[in-house]
Parts: sequence; structure tokens; C-alpha cells
Amino acid sequence: MSADSELAVVAVGHPRRSVIEAAWRAIGPGVEVLSSDDGGPLSRTVKRIIDPLVLRLRSNPQYSYPVVAPETAAAMHDLIVGSGPELRFAAAWFETLKLERRRQRIRTGNAQELYFPVCFELAVTKGAPAPQDTETAAAVLGDIHQGRDRTAIEVLLQYVDSPDIVAKLEDQLDRSWRDVRASETAPATVPASFLAELATVLGPAHGHRAAAARQRVWSAVIADATPYNLGALARLEGTEGAGLPWSIVDLGLSSVEPQRQPKVSGGPDSDRPLDRSVVDRVRATLRRALDRDALPDIPLLCEEEVDRACAPWGLLSEDKQATLVAGIEVAVELAPLDRSVSHRYALAAQIQARLRKEAYVLHARRYLAEGGPIHPRQRQVVDDLAAYAQPYLSRLWARLHGRDVWQDPCEDVDEMRSLLEGVARSVSLDHRQRIKSMLELQVAG
Amino acid sequence: MKLVADSGLWTTGPITAETPLAAVLEVSGAVLSWTIDDPPGDAHAQISFTDSSRADWLWRVLGESGHVALASAMDRAADQPHGIELAGVLTAGAEGFFADDTLDSDVAELLAPHGTALITHLAGDDPRILDLVRAGAGLAEEVGIEDVGWPELFAALDDSSTGLVMPSGRRDDYALAAGTDRSPRGVAPIARGVASINWSAVPPGIFDAGENTVDWSVETAGAAAVAVVRAAVIGPNPATGVEVRLRSGAVSGAGALGADGRATLPLVDTQGRPMTESAAWDQDWQATSVVVGAEVPETPETRERVRRWAQARLDRPTDDSFLAEVLASESAY
Repeated sequence: MSADSELAVVAVGHPRRSVIEAAWRAIGPGVEVLSSDDGGPLSRTVKRIIDPLVLRLRSNPQYSYPVVAPETAAAMHDLIVGSGPELRFAAAWFETLKLERRRQRIRTGNAQELYFPVCFELAVTKGAPAPQDTETAAAVLGDIHQGRDRTAIEVLLQYVDSPDIVAKLEDQLDRSWRDVRASETAPATVPASFLAELATVLGPAHGHRAAAARQRVWSAVIADATPYNLGALARLEGTEGAGLPWSIVDLGLSSVEPQRQPKVSGGPDSDRPLDRSVVDRVRATLRRALDRDALPDIPLLCEEEVDRACAPWGLLSEDKQATLVAGIEVAVELAPLDRSVSHRYALAAQIQARLRKEAYVLHARRYLAEGGPIHPRQRQVVDDLAAYAQPYLSRLWARLHGRDVWQDPCEDVDEMRSLLEGVARSVSLDHRQRIKSMLELQVAG
Repeated sequence: MKLVADSGLWTTGPITAETPLAAVLEVSGAVLSWTIDDPPGDAHAQISFTDSSRADWLWRVLGESGHVALASAMDRAADQPHGIELAGVLTAGAEGFFADDTLDSDVAELLAPHGTALITHLAGDDPRILDLVRAGAGLAEEVGIEDVGWPELFAALDDSSTGLVMPSGRRDDYALAAGTDRSPRGVAPIARGVASINWSAVPPGIFDAGENTVDWSVETAGAAAVAVVRAAVIGPNPATGVEVRLRSGAVSGAGALGADGRATLPLVDTQGRPMTESAAWDQDWQATSVVVGAEVPETPETRERVRRWAQARLDRPTDDSFLAEVLASESAY
């Protein structure tokens, strides 16, 4: 394999995607609508059906590594081939739903993205679609397109329409807000030891021992009171709050300094994370709940959200607070159009290198001149890129909020790091689409 | 194959030329780039890994063992400054491979701006074009596009029996945009000249791609001298707002082009004082430069290479020719 014997030794195992492709082909005919022209599964088939529903990556993380060991590969193969009948039924359901979509002239949302999981669910619960059964298809599309989220949001709005309920939540909010304060013994600024720990967590790790050490340090960071205390400092006036090493306004987390006590509903017209009202925050949860089986109980959700809104950084669990603090440290070092930023953290340097490469793609496509706008109309978006930390932290906060609500942990250091990377990727994609559309505007106009 | 660390990213293959000679494609976890006019056969794409764990298509290019070797090498060698030599890794023809989350894989975003343009193509009778329009509309329905033009296109296709009469977008009726010898008012200018557009300085889809397509002249407007600039435009996008600057010794003028590629620039000296007509007659205009768009280094030779490559593709259509190239080649005269 390689002239370098060391490399040859480790070159065992199989690329994850090639295992999936081989298994997919072994299923045989009947899954064409879920396949690409060359017979492999569509990327969306993998993302929406195989990963979450067949391999169930959430409970089987060993199936998620880019390169899998031979025995893992064999297990994956068996799982996929074993689901062959369901996958064929799912394909048939997708045909049925697509026909119904065309019949109803629905043109919103990506059909694959929206229908694939439902198709597999129908395949498991109902088997093959019965001929002429347009009722089920119509009901499924109605459910998807009229939106379960809208129903849940209506329930929420009805609930908080009652003055008694709002008064009760406001009481709770006042008490919760007062309860959160930095510990008396907390230093007035970020301890050097904490920064050193962050440097390890956001630094490189070569080999198993270093990786294990990095995990231990991350666990220590989560257990450390510093992220909590910093979040509590962010709401103190004047010199008391001066220990915070960043401005929460510059970071885009709040529209004012210090952070204000959030409202139950209404309040400032701001989309900054720490400005949001309790009702807005619950609404965001309900919107994200589309993929979840059970909608949570609205009164319970509101009560919990009051406490969350009052918690440091607007997040209840320590691992989310620590991840946000780590994210802030990374965010302030990101600047896609600036080649001169220096980095304290290897992870930030790595993300920045990707952002630079992505900016180069725009340049090569003539969507940007080297380092600046190629058309004056792009000035605003390009200036936004210079304040990259703001959209980055808004999105990171939203993801952490979701994880906080659903109690998805961020205790695994690799998972935390890939969350920080994934947020950069989606913010960058967003920005680049905007830069591109500033040029394309004129076509439409 | 050699992997080198380039600005913090693992990168394979030879360094490709600067834009506009570089073609780039953003796939999952990597950016592929190559020099457009590399001779066929020994064209090697450079792969820059932005996130090797997401490059799940790599085995298609390198084979399974190559993929595994490369992935583990990148994993383990993050601190090797000079690079890694991987012998025996085979490279085969790369197929575009996308998962999600890249600029080049978002079908909805890529298709969305073209609804109106596709409608204009419905008027033609070339079945290849109609097939392409139908395929585009089918895809748009499935991925959910409702931008400008698309509802009309869906309606037109649903109802294509009614015999639509729509303006054709094809430029069968092209007239060369010839520069006039005289200024609009029929007065001989004080000075005149031509300049070229740097492609990498302006957005795509606006300007004529020839050399010397920017005419400029110095004329009088009342007591003052102005520069009139006319850049040849070809569309479909208007030139509105693209910056233009003229410099000649201590004299300069700056402004923005109108939709038709024209601009009139007041001329000023270094102190910002307007240039008078008599000063304009005294000025030596030999060393005048006109820059359209951003300031970039780009040579006429580079543009000539791209034109030669494009022409070669038109001269010899192949299986990978785009329909637009085939049509252009058929109508070449």
C-alpha cells in the first residue's frame, strides 16, 4: 500500500460510505427512487434514512466513524441488507407521496428531505402502500405541510394568553433571576488555569493518550464554576461586571450591557439570544420539535424555560455553558477575509483555514474580488463577515439551546469540537449564499 | 501522491494556476481545483481537505485502501510540517461527489435564480433545450423552489398545449457592439483610447469577454473636462454600480457604470479641483489607465489562454460538453 510501513499497518478497515454503498447495491431492485444514477444510495437517503433509522447512529456511534473496522463494516452491511424489505416499501411510499404532492401541486419544501423519514416509518408500520390508498398519502402530506409545529405554537399562544399564567411565570422569573449570582469566592476575572484548560481542549491531541487527557480536561472544564460565574458576571453593572473578558454586545449575544432580565413575552425587538423572551424561546423549541416524536407538555416547557432564561448564558446545564464559553474563545479568532489573524487555539486556526479556503472558492468563481467585494452592493455582507463572531455565536447558542432542552449532552470533547466546527460550516454557507445572491439580485430585478 | 500542508489544510497534487485559469469545485469536506487548460489525460485535480472526515467520497477516487491510508495519514500527521508521501495510491477519474452543506451542492440555491431565463427558452423548438427546461422544472418541483419566474414556468409547462408565444432569449440576432468614432454630440474628443476588463475584477455575466472592449474619451462638459467610459456589455446582468476609475498622471476620475456599461467621470487634479477644458487640451493623455471593477493583477495572456481553451471546446464538442457549448458550436460562423 505504502512505502511507509507505518502507514501500511494502519490502512485496515473500510471507508464508511463504501460499506453503505456495497450493502445498498446488495439490496437489489426496488429502491431506485432512493438511489442515484449509478445505483448507490442518494446522499439524502443516507442522511435521512440509513444513518438515523437503519444504522441508528445515536445509539450506535461505532457506525459513524469515517473509517470502520472490518467487523463493524460486516455488522453495518447486515443491518442494511436486513432492512431491504422496509427500504423497498419506503421507496414505494416515496413514489406514492410524490404522486400526491404533484396532484396537490405542492411545491414547498424539499420532497426528499421532508418525506424520506416518514416513508421509512410508514414502511415499518404499514408495509407496502395499498394500491389506490391516496387517503394515507394525503393525510401524511397534510401533517407535514400544514405543520404540527403550528398547532403546538397555537397551544402555546393560548396558554400564555391567560393573565394568571403570565403573572405566575413572571413571579417565577423574578425569583430565578435573583437566584443566579457568581459565587462569593469567584475571582473577578478568568483564572489563568481555566484558560490553560481551554487551550488543551481546543488544542491538538495526537494518539490515544493525548485524546484521553483532552477528554479529562474537558470534563474538568465542565465541572469548573468559571463558565457559570462568567455568565453571572455578564449581568452585573459597572466595575462588578468588568471582569468579563468580552463584551456581550460585541459578541452579538445581547443588545445591551449588562444583560437585562428577560421578559415572559414581548420585550425588546431583538433577535439577540440573551434578549429573547420566554415565549420566543419556547416557540423556537416547538419549531425544532418537528423531528421529535413527542411534543412536550406546554406548561412544563414554559416553567422550565423560565429557569433556563435566567440561568447563566440562558442555558441550564454546565456542559452547554462551558461549550458556549469555548465557542466564544474560538469565535473571536475567526475572520474569513482576513489573512493576518493569529490564533491561540489550534481548533480556531483549523476552522479559519477552512473559512479562508471557502472564501477562495468565491474568489475563483468571481463572487468576490481578492479580499473584498466585487460589486459595491456586496459591501454590507462583506462587512458582516468581518464581525463573524456574531452570527457564529447566535447559531451556536441556538444549537446549545436545543440540546439543553432535549438534554443532549456535550460532555464528549470530540462531539463538542465537531459542534463548534459544524456551526462555522453552516454560518459560512449562509454568508456565501448571501454574497452570491447580492450578485444574482440583478438578474431577477 | 504527496500530501502537503498548505495554509493549515492538507492538500494533494500540483498547485493550480491563479484565477481565472483555475476551476474550483466545492465538494463535501474538500475543494477540488485544477487548471482549466491542462492537457487532457494528465489533468490532476488538486484536493484541499477542509474536513477530511466529511470527504466520504474519497474511496471513489483513490480506491478503498487509498482512502483508508490517506484518512489515517491525515489523522496522525497533523504535526508533520513538510508533508506525507503516499506511494501506490491510485488515482482514477474523479466524479463530482456531493453530500450536503457545500456551496456547489445546494441544488435549490443554484437553480432558483434561473426560472425566468428558462421560460424564455420554452419558445424555441429545439427538443434538447425543451428537455433541459423540463428537467430543471421537475427538479425544482421536487426540491421546492418558488422564486421569481418558477410558478410561471410550472404553469407554462402544465399548459404547454396553448402554444405559448414568448420572447426568445437566444441571441440569433446578435449585432456586434461596435464603438462609435464620435462622441454622442458629434464633437471630436480631446483624447481617446481603449482599455481591457480584468475578468477577476468584475462579477460574471455582464461584460463582453474580448480585449480592448472599454472605450474612453475625454470631452468637455461646460467649462470642465469629463471622461466618458463605455464598456461593452453582453449580459444577462446589467453593469449597474460596477466601479470605474481613470488615471492619467496627476488627473483622475472615478464613478460607477450605468446598466449599459457607460459612465461619465468628472476629472479632478490631486487637490480635487475640477479640470478645465484648456488644461485638458494641454494634458498628455498617453499614459492613461482605465480600471473597471476591483484592482487586481491579471494579464492579457491569461485571458487569451482561457479564450483559446473555450474555443477549443467549441471546436471539438465531446461527451462532457454542456448543451450551451454544443449550441454555440452549431451556430458558430
